[in-house]
Amino acid sequence: MKTFKTMLKTELKVSLRGVDMIIFAVCMPLVVLVVLGIVYGNKPAFDGASYTFLEQSFGALASISICAGGIMGLALVVADYREKKILKRFKVTPIRPVLILFVQVLIYALYALVSLLSLFIVAVLVFGFRIHGSLLQFFLGWLLVLISMFSIGIMVGGIAKNVKIAGIIGSLLYFPMLVFSGATLPYEVMPTAMQKISDILVLTQGIKILKAAILGQPVGNILIPIVVMAAVGVICTTVALKYFKWE
Amino acid sequence: MEEIIRVDNLSKFYRGFKAVNDLSFSVKKGMVFGLLGANGAGKSTTIECILGTKAMDNGSVKILGQSPQNNRSQLFERIGVQFQESNYQENIRVGELCELTAALYKNPAEYKNLLSKFGIKDKNKVLVKELSGGQKQRLFIILALIPNPEVVFLDELTTGLDARARRDVWQILLELKKQGLTILLTSHFMDEVEVLCDKICILKRGCKVFYGTVKEATESSPYNKFEDAYLWYTDDREDSNENV
Repeated sequence: MKTFKTMLKTELKVSLRGVDMIIFAVCMPLVVLVVLGIVYGNKPAFDGASYTFLEQSFGALASISICAGGIMGLALVVADYREKKILKRFKVTPIRPVLILFVQVLIYALYALVSLLSLFIVAVLVFGFRIHGSLLQFFLGWLLVLISMFSIGIMVGGIAKNVKIAGIIGSLLYFPMLVFSGATLPYEVMPTAMQKISDILVLTQGIKILKAAILGQPVGNILIPIVVMAAVGVICTTVALKYFKWE
Repeated sequence: MEEIIRVDNLSKFYRGFKAVNDLSFSVKKGMVFGLLGANGAGKSTTIECILGTKAMDNGSVKILGQSPQNNRSQLFERIGVQFQESNYQENIRVGELCELTAALYKNPAEYKNLLSKFGIKDKNKVLVKELSGGQKQRLFIILALIPNPEVVFLDELTTGLDARARRDVWQILLELKKQGLTILLTSHFMDEVEVLCDKICILKRGCKVFYGTVKEATESSPYNKFEDAYLWYTDDREDSNENV
């Protein structure tokens, strides 16, 4: 336990010192929230809608930090710790290197949680946001999206040859999802053709789960997204476990 | 005397290429043992096979009487390791790296004492990457000593250091030796090996070409200087030292 606490504390400090996650996983979602809030205000999502545009978009905003931390952050840190032989160094200590990976997963989950809470507070206080559906359902959905996206990052970092390749693969997954999955640019304002492309992206499915939970839409509508997210999580975790390169 | 490291018939192949071939040696308690050889001779591979971070293809290894394949978590409480490459996080401070390392062990040494003993106590808050080469190497020795180990493995500890910094590291190692610590090191500097090592093993393309003391190495070569003898042992010419 002492080992774990010290590791978490130290790795968290080191991570915060890197600053990039504060920008991409915490500040950026807030900026997008404020911009959407200013543009759409408290307007209903469409004429006659019982919820606001912002309420419709909140799930998407909450996914930005999951995507940034899970895909870019985790992939890079895993590849980096392997390249710097930090994982190898742990192999010649009484502690198994998997513990430091677990600590990293926890750190990126913390970033996502901080982002979620800050978005929630600002949205409620400034833009009159409220959850129409179930908070528990939202949180479970959020966890599923988190696990699924994080498993992609661990897989990419675990099997990429080096940090550079992990960065390239991470970017190829991260930026399209950030822009086209509805995380920043709302899915609802996309033309239908673009929505079709967007639907292929994993995160789009995740956002549908979060959106349905917030707006109180029936779970039946999001069975496919749930299956997709769970499948991605299982597949990526399996691949990561099987092909993970410790050095 | 108690045997701390025992290697029997160790072999390691990489895709048919023999990185280490049928290597045997033994390191007794309190001894400084030098594993020598040109780049690619198999020194690091040998260390990694001994520590179990690489699987050997043949042979057996015992550290402190135990197989490093089993009981890893118990055994590595008693072993300090410094690999050739420096392994630390980009934005980590000296004190943090020490604290993190100490947290991995049940009975770690007080790292602040080690920092002051090695003269880098004032660097506690400095980023590791901002240390000079000599300071970094001293830090890496400290990290290897934090477990309060009975044996340490130091891979090319002084590579990249200036003459002064190398001398400082020697002093530290001699001091540790006096305290009874067993050390296995690799080095490319023969002056260093002469000063530090009780026994050496010279590798050439994965094979043992000499095993004994520095004095014996010089005596059984046609040269008077150890460095010349070393070069003679590791020379690539076929006629010079087959079957030594």
